[in-house]
Amino acid sequence: MKFHLSSCFLLSGFTCFLLGDLNEKHDSLPSELRINGGSITKILGKYKDEILQSSVKLFRNDKLIAQGILVDSAGYILSKASSSVGARTMRTFNNQSFPIRIRKRDERTDLALWQVLGPPKIWETVQWVDLNQSTALGTWSTATGRAMSEIKLGVISANPRIILREGGVMGVLLEDLNISTSGIPITEVLPHSSGDRAGLIIGDRILKVDGRAMQSTDQINQLMHNKDPGDLLTLRVNRKGKEVDIRITLGHRSVGFDLFNRNLLMSGPVSKRRDHFPFVIQNDLPLEKEMMGGGLFSLKGECLGINIARVDRVSNYTLPYPIILPVLNTWLRELR
Amino acid sequence: MRASPYLVARLLLLSFLPIFVVESKEVKIPPWNSVLPHSINDLEAIQSRIQNSFYNVKKSVVSVVAEDGAGSGVVVSPEGLILTAAHVIGESGREMKVIFDDGSQAQAVSLGGSELSDAGMLKVIDAVPEFFAPIALSSQSAVGDWCFALGHPNGFDLSRGLVLRVGRVIRKKEETMQTDCRLLGGDSGGPLFSIDGEVIGIHSRISQDPEANFHTTIESFHSNWDYFMNEDLHTFQAMQRGGFLGVYCEESTDGLLVLEVVPDTPAEKAGLQHGDLLTHLDGNLLDSREKLTILVSSQSPGSKIVLDYSRESRDVSVRVELGKRNSPE
Repeated sequence: MKFHLSSCFLLSGFTCFLLGDLNEKHDSLPSELRINGGSITKILGKYKDEILQSSVKLFRNDKLIAQGILVDSAGYILSKASSSVGARTMRTFNNQSFPIRIRKRDERTDLALWQVLGPPKIWETVQWVDLNQSTALGTWSTATGRAMSEIKLGVISANPRIILREGGVMGVLLEDLNISTSGIPITEVLPHSSGDRAGLIIGDRILKVDGRAMQSTDQINQLMHNKDPGDLLTLRVNRKGKEVDIRITLGHRSVGFDLFNRNLLMSGPVSKRRDHFPFVIQNDLPLEKEMMGGGLFSLKGECLGINIARVDRVSNYTLPYPIILPVLNTWLRELR
Repeated sequence: MRASPYLVARLLLLSFLPIFVVESKEVKIPPWNSVLPHSINDLEAIQSRIQNSFYNVKKSVVSVVAEDGAGSGVVVSPEGLILTAAHVIGESGREMKVIFDDGSQAQAVSLGGSELSDAGMLKVIDAVPEFFAPIALSSQSAVGDWCFALGHPNGFDLSRGLVLRVGRVIRKKEETMQTDCRLLGGDSGGPLFSIDGEVIGIHSRISQDPEANFHTTIESFHSNWDYFMNEDLHTFQAMQRGGFLGVYCEESTDGLLVLEVVPDTPAEKAGLQHGDLLTHLDGNLLDSREKLTILVSSQSPGSKIVLDYSRESRDVSVRVELGKRNSPE
């Protein structure tokens, strides 16, 4: 009895000391008290477990490439299509590994449906919720991190919206001509742009793109808009009276402007596909590109949608549940 | 000598009474003031407080556009005074464009600031802004406070609108503070708000560590308000050319505490010592390190200043002839 009493005192003394210590003014905030320091997400309790149980990680040759969420108790997983390409296995939060195979893929939303192979089992699935988008800005949300039982915290951080296709760019300015039979003249080449790297110079007149004759500036712009960054094109240009063929790899619209260049460098790896989505909500969670395909959850573990692109170091896009629902329902109907 | 039982009883009473009083009052700390939120309800209370403040202040935030880039800023007066970063304005008297949250635009001209703290000011010249944000008084924010950052990362985007980031103050010292609000280029000059929607800082530098970005403190603006409004942008270059004193100081509530007096400098010749508390320069209150640097280096070497300080609670006033800064080799 005596022993118990003294240890009680010791314990309470220790707790007091700890609390006193935390309440004091610090030179810097201890890392565990920061938003993603671990202490704050602990208070999610059982909801954290629910999030982890319905989330999986997708691997290709033992390398983590994407996350996914269980959407059907028969073992169907939803993920980001362009990130999960070639996945062979999935791992659950308790590090069990299962083979998987792809069953469906949708270009418009960049979603893919995977099926868990192996003996039948009843899987825990996500509970969907439709976020009220008019009041969503500033709402806490969570997602699974890189480590097996890690949860990240952040907020809905900008207006929900359509993300248009970015298209590829040459990084050159063209003279605005409605009709021309002698090519479209280049009036400026942005330094370090793909046009600069391909060797285009001011005064070059673009005659053909991939063999098709170009007669107006609009025609060229339209064609570029339908191409992607990374696409390879062959330009026939008139340079000082001589016709030459130039091969050019299209760049991102953002590259060519200093601010965007720097921001891309500061952001680290981003999703390869991060444009052309029917509708997204934006969040500020500190997620890596391998965390895409996983769910965005409320504090109570309800799934608001799927993280579909890491855009830069302050923004991720999430496809909201109402966009996912019709695609998913069609797929599940076809498969059952 | 043995203490009388009466004295012991009194001491005991004295030491216990305050505890009883506190406990009977049932002190309840609001979740945003406690070290950690304890429940989901606490987190939701923090969220709704931030959301309320966000809707009150969002129309005061602007995108600042120059030929060579874009930053952010915040309108803080009905006359259209904008707080931003020194590196966003670049120099005084420069014409710039500002874009409000609804996409409408106005012309602005850069006033002054300081490259030391990265504080800068702009003023709208051809419009009367409808909204402005309140600014916090000095010493209102502290390490651990919840805060939110607003700005236009990557420049203005009408359909995206402002981008909100929520975090906590993780360090604060003199003219700089750090938070775990995540920032990106284009955010520079944008406001950091307290949970109650008062400007407590201005986004300055992006850290390699995405969760420890830098902001200029509102204290830096308060301390040098008139200089920033009416004078100039204080540059590192001007600091090299200007007058030189030769002390290292630390800010305290009563003045600037001298930590070190550099040998063979005007400060040493004037007899300044470690531990002196500098209070005024030519009658100007010394309430920040940056203000001392600006006041000293905006005068030319050879000019004379009057420095008031206190040593061991005795007030002293000296005349100091400023020297020339040794240019770094």
